[in-house]
Amino acid sequence: MVKEIERAGLPVVHVCTVVPISLTVGANRIVPAIAIPHPLGNPNLEPEEEKSLRRKLVEKALKALETEVEDQTVFED
Amino acid sequence: MRLELGQVLIKDVQFGDETKIDNGVLYVNKKELIDLIKEDEHLKEVDVDIAKPGESVRITPVKDVIEPRVKVDGQGGVFPGVLSKVDVVGSGKTNVLKGCAVVTTGKIVGFQEGIIDMTGPGAEYTPFSKLNNLVLRCEPVDDLKQHNHEKAVRFAGLKAAAYLAEVAKELNPDNVEVYETLPLLESVQKYPELPKVAYVQMLQSQGLLHDTYVYGVDAKQIVPTILYPTEIMDGAIISGNCVSACDKNTTYHHLNNPVVKDLYAKHGKEINFLGVIITNENVYLADKERSSNWTAKYTEYLGLDGAVISQEGFGNPDTDLIMNCKKIEQKGVKTVIITDEYAGRDGASQSLADADPLADAVVTGGNANEVIELPPMDKVIGHIDVADTIAGGFDGSLKEDGSIIVEIQAITGATNELGYNKMSAQGF
Repeated sequence: MVKEIERAGLPVVHVCTVVPISLTVGANRIVPAIAIPHPLGNPNLEPEEEKSLRRKLVEKALKALETEVEDQTVFED
Repeated sequence: MRLELGQVLIKDVQFGDETKIDNGVLYVNKKELIDLIKEDEHLKEVDVDIAKPGESVRITPVKDVIEPRVKVDGQGGVFPGVLSKVDVVGSGKTNVLKGCAVVTTGKIVGFQEGIIDMTGPGAEYTPFSKLNNLVLRCEPVDDLKQHNHEKAVRFAGLKAAAYLAEVAKELNPDNVEVYETLPLLESVQKYPELPKVAYVQMLQSQGLLHDTYVYGVDAKQIVPTILYPTEIMDGAIISGNCVSACDKNTTYHHLNNPVVKDLYAKHGKEINFLGVIITNENVYLADKERSSNWTAKYTEYLGLDGAVISQEGFGNPDTDLIMNCKKIEQKGVKTVIITDEYAGRDGASQSLADADPLADAVVTGGNANEVIELPPMDKVIGHIDVADTIAGGFDGSLKEDGSIIVEIQAITGATNELGYNKMSAQGF
């Protein structure tokens, strides 16, 4: 899906846990997620902490979307 | 470490007044066994049935299959850290009830348990259709949480197997196999001219009912470590798995790991089989990185020339597999990986979720997406209505006449990634 949307001309950020697979399939902007059963959150955290975690993840993804890349890029921190 | 594995051949299983083995027949006191299993207050109802090769019987949903074994001589007991104390096992003598197994079924725990047909086309895909199976149907008390349900049924199977095997403790086995692994430096000295090989066994540890236990420790909490191969034969590794049936390793698979057996067969002749490195398949990327770093580190530290790597399950564990393969190869150690495929029903899709050019020697257990029609059976042990919802099944899998159309993914052991099955493929 990442590749097809990009082929249509829209930049894509792939937020995913298993970064190596994302690299293998050819995503260009990759934001590492939390864990496979809960990529965008962490049920072990208190609700307030989790909300902050989730917001940061979304903000990081939006930032990645705005960033020009030359090659496959993993946005670590 | 040296283990004598004594095989007590079981050609039939019957109910009887006393649990005993007489002339190759295992007699089981049904009430005694049920009472033992019902000691667990999490189980509301327990029944025991027998399913023999060739009978028109379907068992589903199958959770685990266990081979009865008993420690005759040497340290510890079978299933250490689980049923027995955590002593190091794998030495001395162990007796095996060869030709029979305990199969656990009952209300489905997760959604990924399997099917065993004792006859027909489905029987060809599962090794357990060739055994005399003592089937435990365990029904949980109301509102039991899934993880407690899983644990209760896991222990029921292990306890039943230990109970049956106890009667073989004093028996003289029909034949004896001897397996021995020397401490590392002695083994290296003994066959200096042979290539040094280890087995890297990946254990399913994704959590949420996808779990394996090593000496009682949940495998997602281990870091990679080294076992003598014979430890596995005494039940050091057990299944707590409710994952796709075709390529999960049941406890029976662990006890009879064919990779271990085949490496022993070549040991001292073509290779120097040094031992087993166990590792896990966790759901955090940092865990995947750490574990594969450590398996690679061990292969270097052991001075290996080659490693055989087996996977369990599919999907994101494909990444653990490729990470292990790549990092071990980068240490200058040759690898062969054993996996299976999810290549679509027509076999035309990419087989694994991850890949690397260094993974250039691959053994497959077959394509789990292949579709099969399983004809109706005269008798069903368990709950047939799960056919539409188990992994490999789909809405409409179960027909009115009792036949089932499923992907072979739903058949227990069909594409086993230890090679304990008949399917594979050859590339030219």
